[in-house]
Amino acid sequence: MTTTQGSGDIRLVDVSKQFGSSYAVKNVNLTIPHGSYCCLLGPSGCGKTTILRMIAGHETPSAGEIFIGDQMVVGKRPVERGTAMMFQSYALFPHLSILDNVAFYLKMRDVGKTERRERAREMLARVQLEHLKDRMPAQLSGGQQQRVALARSLITNPKVLLLDEPLSALDEFLRLKMREELKRLQNDLGITFVHVTHTQPEAIALADMVVVMDTGRIDQADTANMIFNEPETPYVARFMGGQNVLSGTVASRAADLVRVRAASGALYEARPDKAAKVPAEGAPVSLAVRRDRIALSPRAEGGPVVNAVSGVVEATEYQGTYVKVTIATEDGSIFVANVSDDAYFASPVDTGDAVTARFRPEHLHFLSKVDTGAAGDPYLDAH
Amino acid sequence: MSASPSYGARPWTFYVLATLFTLFVIFLYGPMISVLVLSFQGPSGSLVFPLREPSLMWFQELFSPRRTGDVAGAFGRSLPLALLVMLMTVLISVTAGFAFRRRFRGSTVIFYMAIASLIVPGLVLSIGTLVTFRYLGLSASWITSGLGAHLSWALPFGLLIMFAVLGRLNPAYEEAAYDLGASRWRTVKDVVVPIVFPGMIAVALFGFTLSYDEFPRSWLTVGTKNTLPLEIWTMTTNVTSPALYALGTVTTIVSFLVIALALSAILLIQRRRSTGK
Repeated sequence: MTTTQGSGDIRLVDVSKQFGSSYAVKNVNLTIPHGSYCCLLGPSGCGKTTILRMIAGHETPSAGEIFIGDQMVVGKRPVERGTAMMFQSYALFPHLSILDNVAFYLKMRDVGKTERRERAREMLARVQLEHLKDRMPAQLSGGQQQRVALARSLITNPKVLLLDEPLSALDEFLRLKMREELKRLQNDLGITFVHVTHTQPEAIALADMVVVMDTGRIDQADTANMIFNEPETPYVARFMGGQNVLSGTVASRAADLVRVRAASGALYEARPDKAAKVPAEGAPVSLAVRRDRIALSPRAEGGPVVNAVSGVVEATEYQGTYVKVTIATEDGSIFVANVSDDAYFASPVDTGDAVTARFRPEHLHFLSKVDTGAAGDPYLDAH
Repeated sequence: MSASPSYGARPWTFYVLATLFTLFVIFLYGPMISVLVLSFQGPSGSLVFPLREPSLMWFQELFSPRRTGDVAGAFGRSLPLALLVMLMTVLISVTAGFAFRRRFRGSTVIFYMAIASLIVPGLVLSIGTLVTFRYLGLSASWITSGLGAHLSWALPFGLLIMFAVLGRLNPAYEEAAYDLGASRWRTVKDVVVPIVFPGMIAVALFGFTLSYDEFPRSWLTVGTKNTLPLEIWTMTTNVTSPALYALGTVTTIVSFLVIALALSAILLIQRRRSTGK
């Protein structure tokens, strides 16, 4: 394979897409560096696929500009953009053999039959499917079809490969296998991959850059580690699934200790790192704490307790290495603790038990937005 | 679930429905077989059973115009007419099908207007066409007014089939082609048409047989020269020989040939797709 020319970094500048009177994507600004593996993550209807399709040239933005490298690509054909898209359904042409599917791009460029078949064979060898070259798409398994779709996209020698939920049609075993293969392929090729998914573990496992989306806008674009450990908004914290969100007002702030008073009267003490933006005294604030940084004990009686949430165990779910304990708190919200199996079986709790969950000041993380509660946030109760 | 479940002995309704189906088959194929057999009637045979001294004499009789009317001429008009209707139905249905994939202003109204001719009685349409042609000072002929009347019957069927076929066509195929650098025209030629080809054959088949068999819409619209169904009808009133049966056999064979041709084309495509060569 020849090396790709030009940079594959992608810049979206104030991009909006309107369907009728509603916005699928609104004022999105995003830069995806060349050679990175970027995952657009969000629930269905959040606009992630629309962004992908606008980068691909299958959708035209209502407003804004899209750059690939230093080229403004709005209005250009996919081949001119240097993009190639892999469709969710793979869209292999049912009337063409595997070989001719892969050779389709070359056929459209009027490359002679012998040469294009030879090059398609090489590309199929790259995805270890050369032995199936004379089969028809319907005779292949889902995983094989996906590799053919990959080969068909890669033969265009793209700077950017766009993948629309590429793993969603596969069973769990194949999904994990293909996930590794995609990552390896991206490493080998060194081109930009943009991958749309609604599955958090997929994004975390693959991406150099995770873009979390919510109803037409980007909530956070960062490394997987940052998204998971330091979510900026309550939505991201909840959507990524590993966090509890607590809210209150700032009661006092010192250099290394901030006290937050919850509406229920509970007091949280946090040790913010230097980067955290702590609002002024008296201002509302939301905090997140990871589910696996929580210790459970039987309900504490008596005096005020700092950094603790009390409630009744609503459900326990064994997960192998840990136990997920769902607690209905006194103020009616849900708090989840993932307790390691050792700790859990040392002092098990059961549904209906009164418990107190405790966490350490350094594990409380400040969110840049205040939690607005259930309205418009379908993940509030998705525990 | 393992094998198919067993419900014990067959209920009485099974025998009722089996009898009904047997009657249906007899009514469907009985007349056809009777005509087929009697078309080989010998010189001493009559219009009814039994079959005496089987021969091919009535087939020869069929193609001598002075005895039985202009069968060869009628066939020479019906065949090109049916082929023309077939061609136009395919062409118009496919292109209209593409247009209707994108909802446009008034598309529903246009759709219902196109389909409405299915419920207009054929004889009424025939009269109406003749009256209109007279009013416009044109003379009716199988290739002008006849063609139009037949299209008013075949086109709605073609449209309905093509809408169903294209409605199931995943737009991702066209997007994939576009993504791989195909122009509009090459997307149609190299991707869409090959994928919907079996549907196009079905439309062609409908176009051909609907025109080839058509009586009511031909009645007053073909002008002075008859198409085959009209010729057969005329013969039933003035020919009283088994030549009539011979004609029935020949036209049935032509219909079967066309259907067999179309079906084998579909089968061939499907086989190619499933075996890979």
